[in-house]
Amino acid sequence: MNRRARLLLAAATSALALPAVASSAGRPQQVVLPGPVPYPTPLPPLVGRTALPQLFISPRVHVSSTERVMVGVGPDARPAQIRVRQRLLVRGKGDYQLAIGGPIDDALPAPGSQSTPGLRTDQLLWAGFSPGRKVLAADVFLRPRAAAPYLPVRLRLQREGDRTVLTVKNATAFAQPIYTGTARLPELARLLDETRRASLAGVRLTGAFANFYGAVLTLNHRPTIAAPLRVRGQLTLPGQTPVTFDRILGDGRPLSFHVEARGAGKPHVRLEASPAPVVRLLRPPGGAPTWAQAVKRHPLSVADMVMKLMTTRLALVRADQFETYLADPDADGRTRAVYGYETVALEQHPTATASPDGGSGSDALLVVFAALGAVVLAGGGLIAWAHS
Amino acid sequence: MRRTVVVLAVLALLAAGCGKSGHQAGGDVVVAIDVPVTGSPYVAQTIKQGVELSTAGINSGGGLIVGSRSYHLVVKVYDNHLSARTAVEDTRNALDAGAVAIITDGTGVDATWQIANRDHVAIGIVYDGGSGLVDPETRPNVFRIAPTNHGIAFRYAEYLIPKHLKVGLLHDDSAYGQEGAADLDKAFSENPSSVALKVTLPAGSSDLSAQILRARRSGATALLVWAQPPTIAAVLTAARSLAWNVPIYTPPTGADPYIRQRLADHPDWVDGLTFAGGRLTAEVGTGPFESFQSQYESTYGADYVGVRTAGGKQVVQPPEFAMYAYDFARVLVAALTRAGSFDHEKVLATMNQVTTQGANGDERGFNQHSHEGVVDDDVYFARFHDMIYAPVKNDPLSSTLPSIPQTR
Repeated sequence: MNRRARLLLAAATSALALPAVASSAGRPQQVVLPGPVPYPTPLPPLVGRTALPQLFISPRVHVSSTERVMVGVGPDARPAQIRVRQRLLVRGKGDYQLAIGGPIDDALPAPGSQSTPGLRTDQLLWAGFSPGRKVLAADVFLRPRAAAPYLPVRLRLQREGDRTVLTVKNATAFAQPIYTGTARLPELARLLDETRRASLAGVRLTGAFANFYGAVLTLNHRPTIAAPLRVRGQLTLPGQTPVTFDRILGDGRPLSFHVEARGAGKPHVRLEASPAPVVRLLRPPGGAPTWAQAVKRHPLSVADMVMKLMTTRLALVRADQFETYLADPDADGRTRAVYGYETVALEQHPTATASPDGGSGSDALLVVFAALGAVVLAGGGLIAWAHS
Repeated sequence: MRRTVVVLAVLALLAAGCGKSGHQAGGDVVVAIDVPVTGSPYVAQTIKQGVELSTAGINSGGGLIVGSRSYHLVVKVYDNHLSARTAVEDTRNALDAGAVAIITDGTGVDATWQIANRDHVAIGIVYDGGSGLVDPETRPNVFRIAPTNHGIAFRYAEYLIPKHLKVGLLHDDSAYGQEGAADLDKAFSENPSSVALKVTLPAGSSDLSAQILRARRSGATALLVWAQPPTIAAVLTAARSLAWNVPIYTPPTGADPYIRQRLADHPDWVDGLTFAGGRLTAEVGTGPFESFQSQYESTYGADYVGVRTAGGKQVVQPPEFAMYAYDFARVLVAALTRAGSFDHEKVLATMNQVTTQGANGDERGFNQHSHEGVVDDDVYFARFHDMIYAPVKNDPLSSTLPSIPQTR
């Protein structure tokens, strides 16, 4: 079942289940839990101003997407240029006709691509035949004003004398109504364990239901949900040792932090952010290896566990949403996105950095991000930049 | 009396609403075709019929809708005699006639595109796959729906090199042969050890025994012949006369009826001949193409090759190039409709933004980065047996394609 079908099923089941609860207290009611869809906001993935042509993917063909979103920021650390290197891996033998929407200015073939992308107004196009495996890679230049609001991290850079403060904020937060009610602890524990396993494995949630007994209520308080993000990088002032940082924003930790550096000259920011698993919030209490064990060892509150189940699943849904900045035309495809931010000179037009042959080799911004990515990976980062 | 007037008025309104189109008639719109009627009549005819089939369908379906008006498409045919100079004259005449686009086999486009581009008029190539004819950057008004030489050459390299064959690259000295040779050189440049020799053949010569003997002595285990149909027929004749059963590969000209007509007395010489072409069917199957072929044949009759199978059935040529011409006309109409005006500049820009369903069920369209309507991936290989051809089974794309019926 594809993502859209699951969404429809979930929506339909919710519509059926919730009214039934009110009229039949005492009997268990299946309530759809968050995930894998719907996403809490329509974007990302980005959309363009034009209607996409009809897509075709052979039933034997599957498409996964890995994206490196490269954000060039100005002196105030606001996005000035946004480029996405999207690499679609087509597996299976058959035809494909793909269109990806977004505020797209231009698209060039990226190194390793086995085909050349087509471009229409706000559309990136791919068409051809996959003999079993095919790589479609493009450097996609976006209009920053339209694309920037959907980046997962916001930066702000302030100078006070010789003091420079970089503020890094998780921009994925949203308020969401949460259902609560009475459910059985073993079932809640099992569902939390399943959610935790999916989170730690880095796989998308599968649809799940919980049996509630009695009334299912909506909490008056709308908790703030955010995708956990891992943010690593450095703030540098000329002649000074870079101030490095590696934080998780979300997952029970603050959604923003400050980095301070002292010295004169223009500050240089370089960081990488990526959706992270929910680890801390899903850790069973009391050192238990699983939630199933935890409920046997300690008296736990049903309300707390329901809240935890709902909020952690919503956080994972939000994290999954930011794995796709440019859409993957295959709704069931595996997606991964890494967001790199770096201070750039504003005079430079984004397309000016692309080499005529498709951007290989001479792109300073890309090289810098690649180098940063290599350092981060060498340091034991969790993100596997899945270029197989 | 008043009631009668009201009833009549209502009936009149209903009648207007039930017509094929609620649009006002806007007059005629000229689509020009510049083809070698006297130089290559089969090509000229199939292109002309493809365009006419497309425009006739649009005219009978209410016409071309641009803005609030409905226009009648008129096809005006020019004969370029395979001459670039004549093509230039034809282009000027077509522009004077107010043509919204010029559909051509490709003759003289190196000279005509600039003339048409001054008026922002689109040129659609539906036969010649020559590299350099189409370039969205430098020739924004030139589009093509036909397999490209570049795509064919690279697909051949991809197909033949893994077979560890020693390929003799042969081409004739026609412009077509020389352009193809240049693309083959590029495609095989990464694997020079796969090439046994390169030979230029005199176009029009019926006796190529010396050149084929030389190829045989070079140790070639396959021949890739980029040439006009008469040269391919001469290569087959020379090789088989020498009892050399070497596999022979060709570009789309290998499927030209001329070769089978020329070798009608030796059908076994044609057996095994493999050519590259644009796929005639999409993943949806043979239905759309067969429907197009049926429509084509019911209007113009089948294109009989002039040979029969061993079982005595007449062989017909599937209307491949008619399909490309048909598709280009449909993309043009889609662009005119979407542009909502005859402002040539606007229409040209809109050509990059529209997609239509092609006669074979595939999507057809262009974009800002590519004015090629047949992507390289769509090049397949077919092999002759008993005067008809079928997709080969040892190529990933070709093995997925069904055969098109070719007998009547």
